[in-house]
Amino acid sequence: MKKFDYLKPHTLDEALSLLNQYGNRAQLIAGGTDVIVMIKQKKLFPDVLISLQGIPGLGQIDYNGMLRIGPMVTHRAIEKSELIRKEFSALTDSADVLGSVQIRNVATIGGNIVTAAPSADTAAPLLALGAQVKLKSMQTERTIPIEQFFTGPGETVLEKGQILTEILIPKPLPNTGSAYWKLQRRGALDLPILGVAVLLSLDKATVTCSDLLCTASPISTVLHSLEGDEVFCKEVRIALGVAAPTPMRATKAENLLRGKKISDELLKEVAETAAKEAQPRDSLRGEAWYRRDMIEVLVKRMAMRCIERILRPEETIFPVRLW
Amino acid sequence: MQDFINIGKRIPKMDAEEKVTGKAIYIHDLKVPGMLYGKILYSPHPHAKILRIDTSEAERLPGVRAVLTGYNTPPIKFGFYKDNPPLKANKVRSYRDEVAAVAAIDPDIAEDALNLIRVEYEILPAIFDPEEAMKEGAPLIHEEHLGGKEKKPTNVLNLPWRLIAGDVDEARKNSDYVAEDRFKVTWVAHCCLGTSGCVAQFDLKNNLTMYSNTQIPSLAQKDYLDALSAMGLQGKKARVIKAMIGGGFGSKLDTYAYEYIAILLAHKTRKPVKIIFSREEEFFATSPRQPAIIHIAQGCTKDGKLTFRDIRMTLDNGAYTSWGATTPSVMMMPISSLYKVPNVRYVAKCVYTNNTWSQAMRGYGNPQATFAIDSQIDILAEMAGIDPLDFRMRNANTPGEVTPQNFRINTCGLRECIDVVAQKLDWRQNRGRRDGRGIGMASMIHVGGGARVYKSDGCGTIIKIDDFGTVNVITGATDMGQGADTVIAQIVAEELGVRVEDVVVTHTDTDICPWDVGAHASRTTFVAGNSARGAAKKVKEQLLEVAAKSLGENPENLDIRDRTIFSKNDPEKKSPLGKILRAAHYAAGGKMVMAEHFYDPPNENLDKEFKGNLSVTYAYGTHGVEVEVDKETGQVKILKYIAAHDVGRAINPMLLEGQVYGGATMGIGYALTERLILQDGKVMNPNFLDYKMLTAKDVPNIEPIVVETDDQFGPFGAKGIGEPGLVPTAPAIANAIYDAVGVRIKDLPITPEKVLAALKEKK
Ligand SMILES: Cc1cc2nc3c(=O)[nH]c(=O)nc-3n(C[C@H](O)[C@H](O)[C@H](O)COP(=O)(O)OP(=O)(O)OC[C@H]3O[C@@H](n4cnc5c(N)ncnc54)[C@H](O)[C@@H]3O)c2cc1C
Repeated sequence: MKKFDYLKPHTLDEALSLLNQYGNRAQLIAGGTDVIVMIKQKKLFPDVLISLQGIPGLGQIDYNGMLRIGPMVTHRAIEKSELIRKEFSALTDSADVLGSVQIRNVATIGGNIVTAAPSADTAAPLLALGAQVKLKSMQTERTIPIEQFFTGPGETVLEKGQILTEILIPKPLPNTGSAYWKLQRRGALDLPILGVAVLLSLDKATVTCSDLLCTASPISTVLHSLEGDEVFCKEVRIALGVAAPTPMRATKAENLLRGKKISDELLKEVAETAAKEAQPRDSLRGEAWYRRDMIEVLVKRMAMRCIERILRPEETIFPVRLW
Repeated sequence: MQDFINIGKRIPKMDAEEKVTGKAIYIHDLKVPGMLYGKILYSPHPHAKILRIDTSEAERLPGVRAVLTGYNTPPIKFGFYKDNPPLKANKVRSYRDEVAAVAAIDPDIAEDALNLIRVEYEILPAIFDPEEAMKEGAPLIHEEHLGGKEKKPTNVLNLPWRLIAGDVDEARKNSDYVAEDRFKVTWVAHCCLGTSGCVAQFDLKNNLTMYSNTQIPSLAQKDYLDALSAMGLQGKKARVIKAMIGGGFGSKLDTYAYEYIAILLAHKTRKPVKIIFSREEEFFATSPRQPAIIHIAQGCTKDGKLTFRDIRMTLDNGAYTSWGATTPSVMMMPISSLYKVPNVRYVAKCVYTNNTWSQAMRGYGNPQATFAIDSQIDILAEMAGIDPLDFRMRNANTPGEVTPQNFRINTCGLRECIDVVAQKLDWRQNRGRRDGRGIGMASMIHVGGGARVYKSDGCGTIIKIDDFGTVNVITGATDMGQGADTVIAQIVAEELGVRVEDVVVTHTDTDICPWDVGAHASRTTFVAGNSARGAAKKVKEQLLEVAAKSLGENPENLDIRDRTIFSKNDPEKKSPLGKILRAAHYAAGGKMVMAEHFYDPPNENLDKEFKGNLSVTYAYGTHGVEVEVDKETGQVKILKYIAAHDVGRAINPMLLEGQVYGGATMGIGYALTERLILQDGKVMNPNFLDYKMLTAKDVPNIEPIVVETDDQFGPFGAKGIGEPGLVPTAPAIANAIYDAVGVRIKDLPITPEKVLAALKEKK
């Protein structure tokens, strides 16, 4: 393995100035679960690794009108956060299945999105949740929607000299649920064949689920029973991982659903549309036709799960089983 | 049943603490003073002529001590078919072909030096499909390889596997139902956690010491001696010292190019040379399980009696030949003797291709063959309108049977196994729901008392007891993680009336340990166990004789219990073991207590027709599974897993269950997720990210059920269990999937894509 120097600045400013000083010879390191692997695989040759471990404040989760997640927050910390589990469930869903506990203990959310793998597990949930990212250099600071962050496989708008300093997620509307499903071949230590995240807000202020039917039956049955109540979709975001060169939003599908009365048939159509607008390809990890088929299946299931989470918040449930 | 002190006890593996605390010394940890590091340059093409190799730049790199190629090394050929030189000259035949090797003072320099070696190739047309490779005009992998009646160049190996019993054609005509199918199985890797490696060292007289993690020390020793001869070092010695082995599963049943390369580098540099595989090398440069294309037909009568079994098989040998090419001889076992089937025909061809070459792996062909046989049993049962459980019971093997291959079935608990699996799955209740949940079963036969694959199936043991009553057992057996040491200690302790912790087992050094044919064929508990027991009996005789003098008692009246020799007539007459031994050593004209025993079971070599009683006893088992299939995604989830095995006797139920858990886990991977993906001969997934070995989260709750039949030949009644655990797994799962959703997958692994595609087609 190539030898490198390891620098551990204690402030963000110091880190930015080191980054500036070493330029192309430097690489930031957070948990190191991508960087070190890439150095071993001879895909990266940094002379200097600049660690973000020693900078206070980058590892915080705050909720104050908005959810602020520091880039150094580990997936394990996200997985364990009750707040995120309740309000931003899709993110918990992804942290819950990323790598293994050992990996989640060190790997960070910042590292995950900066690596920008098409398969990055937190990307689709962040898109669905409407996240923004803050990028800081010595001179500038800007905040952009995460959609604009990814530009290609392994590519982002992040420039040399910039550090991702914060991930911001708006407080969800009332009656919102979100969910992510990682379709994988193993229960752990796997990258997704496909990732599907959905966020859904219902417009009724008081959609509740009180009778027995509602708490025990499958959610599609529940939906039918609520039809009299005319449940409308106020907001929806559908995000897909491994369905295109970058994590993507299925906006046509979203438009089909936004503002409409939710029904089984409509959700089916929405899922089909999402499958059509995706551009999955054949790879070692999965074939395009299967990915496309699964978008259809999983968009629908995740939409259902969102509704389930709205109607049965008590069971915000992290299901080991999909069906 | 007899009352045992040590047999049948759940005793943890003797090396367990060392392993879980990271103290155990594996080949990776081993350092020999002055040691250099070797690295290998592999071919970038699946098939090409080597036009020119220029190593001058690599040689000039500081820290490099030697660079070897096929052009400056002696012509060693290794492997079962002697078709494989450690370093290739003139031509490469696969991506894993070794073209050059470097020894340097550290691994990074060795790696850098590889990048400085310039090789010019002329690319040749390559072939990756064994059926295509058999055709006239296909590119030849080994031009000099002649075969067939006319002795023409061919890719088909001269290994005409052919077993005929009865009259299959006639039986087919008289069958009421005939099923005919094509099954396909692909490459899977052993996935040893400890990668391959060795250290080769020469002394001043050119005697070789190999530190290795082989599972066949005595045979490896012979391979190394052959290599020394080819190097002009006739008459020199070869000593094999084993480090702790991080998993074998058949992968270490052969010697490999890297070992000869280490020997050549050590000889050239006069320094010890270590070669350790990276995980990537472990995946692409070691040999996986053979892929096979299996054409199978079976027939039965109206009332479900099997009438015949007819199998034609093509095996992808890859570019070179290992012992793996002999797996068809083991496939004959289930083909001829799993269930009662009077007429059998089996023909198999091994074909050279430009793919990686295959090797032995746990089950040695049996899982491939059993997948086809026992999947098709369900197909046939359905045609005949018979419940597959009843179908299996009707055809189950029984004690005393002589099978078409002339196996003499001794103990046989197959019916019990089928029965208990059916009970546990609540078969009558749960079968045939077709609602996404389903149950299925499959059975297996394997050799249970060793197998006479070589001329000898023997193993030697030496036991000595010194001053303090510690029992030193020096065995030919190889412990590669399965717990052979512990089981041998239990057997010896039982026989000698001592405790397991009094027994020290040494198995690591061919200069010390007696001969053994190797850890294969699930033979170690049976053969090494019988050998150890024989030696223990002899030692006991000596002990009692020595004690008889000091205790003034007839030896026949003496026995040993809990480290004490006592008189059965007069309990007052007793003495601790250590004291008796010290007395023997310090007496004038003293005596040393030591014995050896060689045990070679009465197994028969297969004759020219591939018939004969290969093993003195056979192991049977049945696995039962309940699955749930997601009809929209094609994913299969195992809800329940029952593994019933006739093991003769469980010497150590804990270790035995470990073998069953491990076997079934490997089998589930084989069935559902694992495969080496080769694209035009190149391994595309040489890592655990994309090679889908199951994780702890994926392994279902496996319930092992031990059926004890107390085999008369086994040590305390035991039979082999090393391999059986994975043999019936894939067909049991495939049968359960069929029961759940009505689709039959005949091609492993059963991925969600295949299930979904089949479900769509069915619609
Ligand atoms: C065994 C294993 C399993 C894995 N499983 C999964 C999985 O299931 N799903 C998945 O999505 N990923 C998986 N990964 C990949 C990896 O763990 C994740 O992408 C992880 O989130 C990376 O975080 P890190 O802190 O380790 O990043 P690092 O490796 O430290 O950094 C990654 C990249 O981000 C840059 N970087 C880090 N922080 C910042 C910042 N604040 N500003 C600017 N640039 C920054 C680094 O320079 C580097 O380029 C796995 C990795 C391993 C080794």
